[in-house]
Formats: sequence, structure tokens, C-alpha cells
Amino acid sequence: MSADTVVRPRRNTLRPVWEEQPSLLGQLGKGTILTLVVAVVVVPLWVVVVTSLSSEKTINSAGGYVFLPREFNPSAYVVIFSGGQITDAILVSTIVTLAGTALSLVVTVLAAYGLSRPGTLGHRPILFYFLLTFLIYPGMIPSYLVVTGLGLKDNLLSLILPTAISAFNLVVLRAFFMSIPGELYDSARMDGAGELRVLTRIVLPLSKAVTAVVGLFYAVGYWNAFFNAILYIDRNDLQPVQRVLQQFILAGQSPASSGAAVAIPGLGSTVPPSLAIKMAVVVVTIVPALIIYPFVQRHFTKGVIIGAVKG
Amino acid sequence: MEGASTNRRNFLGLVGLGAASLASGGVLAGCSKDPSSKGSATNAQQAAGLVPQFKDSTLVQPDVKGIRPMADGYVKYPTSLVDAISEKVITSGKPVTATTPWWGPAPPAGNKLNEAVNADLGGAINFSIQDGNTYGDKLNTMLGARDVPDLTCIPGWEVAKLARFSEGVHALFEDLTPYLAGDKVNAYPLLAGLETAAWQDSVWGGKLMGVPFPTDAPYPSVLFVRKDVTQERGVADPTTLDELYEFGKKMTNADKGEWAFGDIWLEVQQICGAGGSENGWMKGADGKVVHRMELPQYKRAVEFMARLYAEKLVHPEIAASKGGDVTTLFKGGKLFMYGTGGGSWKETWRPAVQINPKFNMQAVKVFGADKGQAPVRWRTRPAILWTFVKKGLGQERTQELLRVLNYTAAPFGTKEWELQNYGVEGTHFKRDASGAPVTNDLWVKEFANQFIFLGGRPPVVVGGPDIPTYAADFVNWGNDASKYLETNPWDGIKVETPTQMAAIAQPTEDKITDILKGRTPVSDFDKVVSEWRAAGGDAGRDFYAKVLADNGR
Repeated sequence: MSADTVVRPRRNTLRPVWEEQPSLLGQLGKGTILTLVVAVVVVPLWVVVVTSLSSEKTINSAGGYVFLPREFNPSAYVVIFSGGQITDAILVSTIVTLAGTALSLVVTVLAAYGLSRPGTLGHRPILFYFLLTFLIYPGMIPSYLVVTGLGLKDNLLSLILPTAISAFNLVVLRAFFMSIPGELYDSARMDGAGELRVLTRIVLPLSKAVTAVVGLFYAVGYWNAFFNAILYIDRNDLQPVQRVLQQFILAGQSPASSGAAVAIPGLGSTVPPSLAIKMAVVVVTIVPALIIYPFVQRHFTKGVIIGAVKG
Repeated sequence: MEGASTNRRNFLGLVGLGAASLASGGVLAGCSKDPSSKGSATNAQQAAGLVPQFKDSTLVQPDVKGIRPMADGYVKYPTSLVDAISEKVITSGKPVTATTPWWGPAPPAGNKLNEAVNADLGGAINFSIQDGNTYGDKLNTMLGARDVPDLTCIPGWEVAKLARFSEGVHALFEDLTPYLAGDKVNAYPLLAGLETAAWQDSVWGGKLMGVPFPTDAPYPSVLFVRKDVTQERGVADPTTLDELYEFGKKMTNADKGEWAFGDIWLEVQQICGAGGSENGWMKGADGKVVHRMELPQYKRAVEFMARLYAEKLVHPEIAASKGGDVTTLFKGGKLFMYGTGGGSWKETWRPAVQINPKFNMQAVKVFGADKGQAPVRWRTRPAILWTFVKKGLGQERTQELLRVLNYTAAPFGTKEWELQNYGVEGTHFKRDASGAPVTNDLWVKEFANQFIFLGGRPPVVVGGPDIPTYAADFVNWGNDASKYLETNPWDGIKVETPTQMAAIAQPTEDKITDILKGRTPVSDFDKVVSEWRAAGGDAGRDFYAKVLADNGR
């Protein structure tokens, strides 16, 4: 073995590896892996959409979910929108999500700001009280008694108030506010700014990303929440969309399949919604999230990283 | 207050983990069951003296008579209907509040079916129709907070999950004994038409507490087969365990995407002769209390079922998880035999026949594991669900509510029955040439069995012009199966399982499922049983034996 074969670098240049022209094999490999990742995300969505646009006959002959579209049959959508139930539910969920997120953001930002300032009156015990809720769960029945005692049953506020503040989001925001350099506060004060002005002019503009993320957390939470609706909402026209979705998906599934092994005679008298209708409801429910997400996503990534390294 | 804080469930929900939140919801709800319940049982003799005197309310002679508790079958719809209750039953003008479960989209608020029945009642029933799959959570909270409507409908399987129900029932609901016991029921003649066994099942702590919804067939499961396909291929229904296996071999063709079976585990146990209608408990030949898992028949069933899974005769989507939609696969000809509750027969057959007129769903005549060996058919409780009347509403109001329940108990052949089941002619249904109601889309939307779940009804099996043989098929199958119906030694005794036992049921079942599906070897079976015995199985045996001894059985 000659000396110069020993010293010759593996590559012909001294450029770092990421500046190299990628090899064909590497590109193919990356392409394949990325395609697979995309497929994992896209295929289930695709199947849901195609199934929702199939007829009962196609679904039966496919034995369930349809992969290859054979027809364009929007009858499932006609069915779910004709009753008014889905449209009502979407409206309810939209109201709850918008109003809930707005309220949650206002109270969380105010609380987080207050708790982030050293020297706030009762700052330690109040913070401790918030953190305690991580550990202690008030219980379903006490919560129910409070909500019904306030007369909030069958009221959309019952879907908002019980979850208006999340201690987790509060802690995230507080940690971020505390990371803002004290000099900025000091200079604002010297210019004569009060607490509210400091919050709105200095702190919030610096915290756009993290606030957007917390807002997204809240919004997704409100949009997806359904358990409080089970407890507090009896009126059928006030049900949020996730509840209606759940009813459609589980429709006709008798308790026999949930382990009770009994036949419900009444079930025999109605037709459970076909898979197409169930999938159409799924599509309708995920569309808003799909539309909103891309717009908040850049904040989302940024906000999460901020929280991770500076929290 | 929950509003000022965040509980674990909401916390998960708020960080966007909706699915995790859903799962933990069930767990949290489960925590609220009182951990110290030692189980309870109502004395059977006590129950016997409290029940209403039975008076048959059948108006129309059935086409196929059912051997009780199998309901009667009607092939033809009666041409003339009786107006069973002519006077208005709600006289106070006060609306009645009621909660019922429903397994499907809740009907819209403005509901013509409700309006029509309310008009006939003379006052309004305001329903809160709850999703049946989350009904347990709702009930646990409502009952815990003592916030119940005038009429609360509770299914039997939810009762088992409700914390200290045997005590709570007396605190929340009215004792109906003074209104209905013996001949007092004469004031409510249609309630007198409900089966005595179902009434006996409605006694808690020596008091008649609820109005039962009697079962229409006492069988927890039925083995269904795609008769149109098997006939076309010349494959006969099995009559022994070996033939069942052969059926599997003949009907499975994985290349064509066809498998013989869905889940037939409940059926295989009964074919092999493993009894135990009382949560798996039964009296052995020696008079001692045994659980079905301790029987050789059960072990045989485990081995057989594990073989079906191992040889891939069960549809892979069913084998892989509990998620696969068995009825869609069955309707689509991807599998040809599965076991499920009889209630789904009509529900599956009816829509399928509209797409494929040849579709024929039949119940396999029951058979034993070997030639000449009798199978066992488990017996369900005589009442499926109960309606309870809120406590402390006063005598007049309670009587009014019982009149409502009397109305909803109207038998087949009455105008009331038709109105509650099919709605209004011209609005919810039209009649075919034979006079039988054919329902429309509005009915599908507005009907949630809401009135029928209240106040029970004498059960009947009624087909329709689209499935003309259904009623006879079901009743004849049930009458034949009744020969093998197990006698439950705890019959008529209300047994509330001790919590410790209830808690080991699911984990043990999961271990058995692992064996069936080949995730653990069949040789582990004995170990699973001995673990179960140690973890509470033996304690359960003592409990159930004591209940029998206390009742002198």
C-alpha cells in the first residue's frame, strides 16, 4: 500500500459534507423515506375522503374503507347537511372555539404577566395554587355541581369556563415573560409606562410567537373537547361538533360489542349511518383544523422551540 | 371549582391530545366507583311478593308463538289497530323530563314524532337523549350530583358500573311498590302486561324500584351465516365443532379476500357447553359453584378458537384488533359467519337487502360440539333496562308519571304502539300494499326509541315486507334454542358483583384474548385461570355461593 493512498481523503474536496453534491443513491433514499412519511399522513386522509364519496354498494364490495375512487357520490354530504344537526354543531363549535380562545388568552396572559413580576402581592401562594391543579383533580361530581349550581347547564359557557385557564399554558407564558430582559421593563417604566402599557406595548409584541402557540393550544382544545358537553349539554341543538361526530361514528354499535353482550331490540328498528356518512362527518370535522393550521404553524414551531430552550 | 383550574383530562385536551384525553376520561370516570363495595344481593322470596300481577295484554294473535322468554313473532301487520288509551294521561299540564340512551345521532330538537306522541299524551315529555356509549359517565355524574329528571332510563350493564347503585337507587328514586305491587297494578293495565320475571328483576333491597324493559330474546348472542352464499356454494350449516372447522376451511379463500369467520368466540363457548349465565358463574354437577373458565368445556373452546385464529380462518381485520366493522365485512361478502346479539339481525339484514336483493342473513340452528352432545345457551337477564321515577314528587305526580309509562307500554296492535314506533302516517311512514308501515328518512332522523325505552313494552318480533321471513326465522330459531337455555341458579336475585371481582374480569378476559389470538401460547391457559382464582376468583365463588345459601338454593 503506497503512502499517498493512505493520506488521500475519502472525497476529492475539502468541502464539508453538507456542501457536497448529493449522490444519486442518497437522493433516492431520502426521497423514498420522505415519500413514506408523507404517505403515512396522506393515505388515511385520502381513504377517509374517498370513502365519504362512495356509495353503500362500493363500500360493501370493498369490505369497508375504499382506497381507489370508483365514483363521485356526494349523497353522504347531502344527508349530513340536510338535517341541520351538523351545521348547528359546527356553529356551536366555532362560537365556543373563538370566544373560548379569546377569553382564555386574555385571562392567561393577564395571570401569567402578574405572576411573572417579582414582588406581586401573594405571587407565591397564587402560583402554588395554580400548580396544585396539576396534581389534584377536583372530581367529576363536584365540577358538575358547581357548573349546574351556577345555572350553566345547557349553556355554552359551560363548555368555556371550566377549561378557561390551563395551568400548563400559564406556566409556559409566565416562563417566557420572565425571560424578557428586565432592562426593557425598566426603560418602559422610566418613560412613564404603567403595568398595562408595559404588558401591551413591550411584553406582548415580544411574545407574539408564544402567545400564538398558547392560543393554538386553547383553540385545538376547545375544538376537540367533547367530554364537558356530555356532562353539561342536554339540548341537541347545542352539541359541539365532536359530540355529533362521535355519535355518528359509534352509531348502531350496540353495547354487545362493548362487552355487555345484550341485544338492544330497539336498535333493530333503525338503520345505522353508513360508513360513507361517518367518513363525511370526519371530513367536515377536520377541515377547519386543516385550514387554520398552516397559518399558525410557523409560530407554532418557533414558539415551541422558545419554550424548550429558554423555559 | 373546575373553572379556575385544570384537571388532568382538560389539561391533556388543551395541549391538543384529544385522543389521549378521551381515553383517560374513561379511566377517571372508572375511579369514581366506590372501591369498597363488597357486593350485595336482593332476596328472591322478597321479590316474589312485590311484583305486579301479570295480565296478558296481547291484542293480536301472533303468527309464530314464542316460547317464553322468546317473544312472539308477527309476519303480517294487523289491519285494524286498537286505541288502547283514549283519555289523556298527562293531566297536570306540567312537562315530564326524561333521560334515555340512544346509539346513534341524537334526533333534532324540533321533532314531529315527539310532538305527535306528546299531543296524544296530553302534555310534553322533554327528552334528553344521551349517547349510549358515554351514558355511563353521564349517569355516574348525574346520580352522584343527585340531579335526575322525572324519568331516568338506565340499562342493566350501566347499573353494574354505577357506584353503590343498590344504595343510591333508594335515595334518588321512588319506591313503586305501593303503586304497582300485586293487584294495585290494575290502575295501569298495560304495565301489568310486562313479564313477571322482568318485574322480579326490578326489585332492589326489597322494594320495586323500576319499570322494566323486558328482553325480546333471552340469548346474548346468535351465530349468523350468509345463507345466500353458502347455499350457492353448497356448503351446509355446521352441526358439530368439527363441521364448524370444516366450514371455516371451505369458506376461507384469502386470495379472493374471503374469510369464513368474524368473531365467534361467544358462540364457540356455548357450542362446547361452557355455561355460566351469571357473569360466568354456574352450579356444577356436584352442586358447587364454579366459573365457566374452570370447566373442561371452556378449555376446549379456547383451544378450538385459538386454532381458528392460528389457521387464519378469521378475517384479519377482526383478528388484528377489535376495530374492524364486522357488519360491513359480512354485508360485503368478506366473511360469512359471526356471532353477535340478536338485536342486530334486522339492523344488518334490512339495509343490505336494499343493495343486494339476494342477501339472506340466517341464524345457524344451535348445535353441540359433538354429535348427540347438547350445547348450552346462556340466558340474559329478563330485563334489559329500567325506567326509574324521581323520588319525592308526591303521589299525584308519581301516578301521572306511571300513567305515562303505562302509555308507553302499549302492546303491538295498538295505535299507541304504532305511533311510538313509526310516527305519523304520511309524515314518517307510508303503508305498503299489505298495510305494513314503511318508514322514510325523516323517521330515521327523529326516531331514537325514546318513548319505547320508557316503560318497557311486551316484546314482539316484527319483520317487514322487505324481510318477510325475519319474524318467523327469529322466533323459530329462538324456540329451538330455548331447549338448551341454561337455568340460572341466581335467577330472580339481584346480585351486585363485589368490586374486586368486577375489577379482575377485564384483565382476565384480555389474557384469554391473547391466548385466542396466538399472542401467548395455549399452554398458558391454566396459569391464567390460577392467577384469576388468586386475584379474586375464589373470593367471587364464596360470594356467589353465599348468595345462593342465603336464598336457600
